[in-house]
Amino acid sequence: MSVSSIASTTAPRPPDAAPRSQGVRPAPRTAKPSLAGIVTSVHARTGRTLLARVLAEHFVLSGRRPLIFDTDPVEHRLQSCFPYDTIVVDLHETRDQMTLFDTLAAPSPESRVADVSHQAFRKFFRVMSESGFEAEARPNNIVPVIFYIADRNPDSYEEGRRLRDRFAQSRFVLVENAFVGAAKEVTRANPAYQALSAHEPRLAMPALAPEFAELVENPGLSLSELVRQPLALDETRPAPPDELSFRARATIRAWLIAMFREIHRVTHRAETEIGEAAGSA
Amino acid sequence: MKPMVLMVGADKGGVGKTTMTRTLLDYLAAKNTLTRAFDAEHPRGTLKRFFPEITEVVDITTAADQMKMLDTLSTSEVKVSVIDIRAGLLSRTLRAFKEVGFFDLVDAGEFNFGLFHVVGPSVSSLDEISEVLPYVKGRHYFVVKNHVNDSTFFDWNPGIYKTYFATVKDAAEVNIPKLNELAYEQVELAGIPFSDFVANKAANGRPGDHSLVLRGYVRTWMNQVSEEYDRVGLLDRIYDRAEAA
Repeated sequence: MSVSSIASTTAPRPPDAAPRSQGVRPAPRTAKPSLAGIVTSVHARTGRTLLARVLAEHFVLSGRRPLIFDTDPVEHRLQSCFPYDTIVVDLHETRDQMTLFDTLAAPSPESRVADVSHQAFRKFFRVMSESGFEAEARPNNIVPVIFYIADRNPDSYEEGRRLRDRFAQSRFVLVENAFVGAAKEVTRANPAYQALSAHEPRLAMPALAPEFAELVENPGLSLSELVRQPLALDETRPAPPDELSFRARATIRAWLIAMFREIHRVTHRAETEIGEAAGSA
Repeated sequence: MKPMVLMVGADKGGVGKTTMTRTLLDYLAAKNTLTRAFDAEHPRGTLKRFFPEITEVVDITTAADQMKMLDTLSTSEVKVSVIDIRAGLLSRTLRAFKEVGFFDLVDAGEFNFGLFHVVGPSVSSLDEISEVLPYVKGRHYFVVKNHVNDSTFFDWNPGIYKTYFATVKDAAEVNIPKLNELAYEQVELAGIPFSDFVANKAANGRPGDHSLVLRGYVRTWMNQVSEEYDRVGLLDRIYDRAEAA
């Protein structure tokens, strides 16, 4: 089963959209590795889809249009943000497991982003482990990076530690989302929390005031476009109905740039470390 | 080691006999045990499709082919012979082997013999067990429950089951677990050993294009099957090591 046979599960592409390269092109040995960002959390409402979305926008801005997977067949919120680049998978179906993992590990230059919902958490990592995904990805120049969002509860750190130890060949990035709030006292007393307190790399999602967070939730808002556009729009141009205020634009942009800086720091380090390891080998 | 004959049989079709034989050949290859195979599904030869290099199709009802298998046992470099008996011919083959004196030679310690009896879900299968008992007493007898295509179809009465088993002292039960349907189907289509599928090889020996996920399912399943063969001490029995006693 190859990548070329899976296109049927994506939304139809409008005629004006840029064509995506079809099929799998083997990457040259010296090429930059492709990152497979796996964004996950063990509980709901941790900002997981938002992080997956910003990660995908980060790849868009770097000029590497990503392959995106949404593991929530009911809500598929990530797919709403990237309707033409997202494949929605139901991990209860073997064929969808194949679509997901075979594409994630395939040798091609695209970056990959998978939003793994809390419902899909166990199934996803079981298939990842049993399929030998990590062993296959590395020779194909694919670097799996797990972005694990911990929350206030102790079990989220316990699961995080287990995940880190279980997938030793992947990069494990511990994500703490300021919007979710600080860890509870019982959490801070937990050995898993303490074990992960020195873990590197970690990524801090800065808080965004609720009124702006709500604006960001609009899937029609392209975050990469927002960064590309001038901060103050031409006053003579008629404003579209969903036009954001200057304050909203400035605040969201500042938040996004902080996010991109964090993501860049973590992904850049993963890419260069892998490159150096390959060079010295 | 003595030449070993491992027979795989079932009294009816559709119980996954050839699938079981394929796992056996994969297991022995993984354990560096040279094996030759005879496919008694004359003239079709399902097993030969998967293991063309080591498999010969035979008509087990003819004296000529019986000789081909048995007369070469002592001379062949390859000490383990696996015979996949066509459905419905198990009792008949055992009888034929007895008539040509094969079991006398086993008793005399010249050959080693084991039977993998793949049983179906119905109670009539238990009757089959009693039918083959005279041939396996004191030899290696494995009752194989094959769940590869279904995990729920065994609903035997445990009482009856135990009664039968109590009469066979050395019987060992082998359970072949369920394999993901798509994975099973893809290996069937490829027509290659399970181990080649896991190693992502095509039928011509070139690199294959099998799904990572399906290879993972097959690998996990093969490990489980391998543990079953380890558990019943198959290698010790083949190499006649004391542990099997």
